[in-house]
Amino acid sequence: MKRLFIIKENLKILVKNLKKECDEFIAPKREHLDDIIFGDTKVDGGELLEYEGNSVISPRAFLLPQSEPLFEIKSARESDLVPIQDKKRRIFYGVRPCDIKALALMRRFFLDAVVDVPYQEKMEHSIFIALACNTLCSAEAFCCELDAGPVAQEGFDLQLVAGENGFLVDVGTKKGKHIVEGHKTLFTNAPARDAKQANALFKDMAKGCRRIDYKKVAQAMRDNKVAESVWDDIALRCVVCSGCTTLCPTCSCFRVVDRLSHGKGVRLRYCDGCPYAGFTRMAGDNAPLPLHKDHIRRFFEHKLNVDVARYGAPSCVGCARCIRTCPGNISIRKFIEAVAGQTKAE
Amino acid sequence: MQNSYLPQKAVIEDIIQESPDTKTFTLSLSGDKADSILKYKPGQFLMLSLPGYGEAPFTFASLPDPNGGFQISVRRIGALTKALHTLKIKAIVGVRGPYGNTFPLAKMKHKDLLFVAGGCGIAPLRSLIQYALKQRKAYGKIEIIYGCRTPKDRFYKEEMELWEKNKDTQTHLTVDEPDPTWHGERGVVCVLFPKIKLNPKTSFVFLCGPAIMIKFAIRDLLKLGFREENIYASLERHMQCGTGKCGHCYIKDKYVCRDGPNFSYSEMKQLEIES
Repeated sequence: MKRLFIIKENLKILVKNLKKECDEFIAPKREHLDDIIFGDTKVDGGELLEYEGNSVISPRAFLLPQSEPLFEIKSARESDLVPIQDKKRRIFYGVRPCDIKALALMRRFFLDAVVDVPYQEKMEHSIFIALACNTLCSAEAFCCELDAGPVAQEGFDLQLVAGENGFLVDVGTKKGKHIVEGHKTLFTNAPARDAKQANALFKDMAKGCRRIDYKKVAQAMRDNKVAESVWDDIALRCVVCSGCTTLCPTCSCFRVVDRLSHGKGVRLRYCDGCPYAGFTRMAGDNAPLPLHKDHIRRFFEHKLNVDVARYGAPSCVGCARCIRTCPGNISIRKFIEAVAGQTKAE
Repeated sequence: MQNSYLPQKAVIEDIIQESPDTKTFTLSLSGDKADSILKYKPGQFLMLSLPGYGEAPFTFASLPDPNGGFQISVRRIGALTKALHTLKIKAIVGVRGPYGNTFPLAKMKHKDLLFVAGGCGIAPLRSLIQYALKQRKAYGKIEIIYGCRTPKDRFYKEEMELWEKNKDTQTHLTVDEPDPTWHGERGVVCVLFPKIKLNPKTSFVFLCGPAIMIKFAIRDLLKLGFREENIYASLERHMQCGTGKCGHCYIKDKYVCRDGPNFSYSEMKQLEIES
């Protein structure tokens, strides 16, 4: 991978130019409550070229929104249905490596077997510019244990690594290369000193990082070695607020509903959450999983067991958003550590 | 690439009041996707839409007819099915599919077949029964066990009379709550198991019905010596997409919509489910 360099002044120019080349420039900005969230800054500006920590909500919200139309219902009576195409060119700027990894996991899922066309369309026309982390965003974050930070390995078109006088630039894909070639004069070759400094920083950040054998964790879950009392405790503390599934950058479950007015409208999909009792309930109130602990268990099973069986790796990126938001103080990290500790003891 | 969530139009050609709460709809298809839908195999399902009321999975309850039609049986149980029951002939609905797997059509050839259905669970098995009866000589003995709540809840009465008349096909019926017209057996499907004359070691069994029926029928069939790898159940789960994306139906690493809905009992054991 070729490493380039861009000084801060040139990055401002690049962003200004890129805004002209897209329909939405989705970047981190400060909201009125001082939180960092992603939003379209193409017209209003306000994007942060650098920032501490991570956004409250991951950029997932722009690819799998809380609700999105699947098609238009021109006439409910005649079943006249018209596809809705989303060909907006989106540039995502400043996405943290954990969220870059989450997007890659979600892309793999949505494009696997039967392709999810609404998602694919959005991905095709999107460009992702990652921004590596210089500090750990919170005490709960454990991205480095999941190879999801502090620097992204793949899944980005361009990656910026902040240095003293500017940013190191990693080119990840053809789309990234195309940006660099289109704005050649803004980039120089990476100074050896900055590259060295960055590598030393990442090494330092990864120092305290424990290596967890996720295949063993998955196997323990598959073998039902997690004590029932653990699931009982989690169920007791889960108040079904769905904060975890709402903020998780890899959660993708959805429900489909129709919204009609005078016989016309849309079919929507909106984000759903496995902790809800209705998630697995069928018509006639037939529920294969009647207990609350079975519902919340699905969250852990899906990420740490099922996806390891399906794809060979867990679908958790260690961003810790679920941990920080949980009113019951349920921690997926503590859960992993407990199961990993248990397998080690064996 | 076309949006896989977009249904195509189907026309209701016929409606049969099957039981007090169930109607069988004959649907016909036209349009460019008609052929791919009509290539469905027994045991597969489709997603049926009524704009404004949503979408739900329904199993194909018949083989495709030569006119490009097929049947589904719909029990009035939720908002969508209530709305479907109000529709008249020539009404238009949306369909997409086929989804899911079929039964082990190759493995079951030349074998004895046992069908065990409870209530509307006869619907997915009917397409397989029709499939087997269509090439009757390719199979050994066929026995059909069907139980329902009351005699009025029995589906496909005329067709079942034809099955009963068929000398090389045995049909056994039972109801939970008999009425004065009923002179047959009483009780759950398992009460009919002593009548089974098939060789349990080599027969294939196909089950569909309420969760509790599947659980206890499998238990009793195993006791009779039927092999767990030859017992297949058609399972029901909450589904919103049919394509393995919505996340509602998965059990461990299997999607019921994509890897099922038909699983052998050996597979069910791996998934740690009984129904």
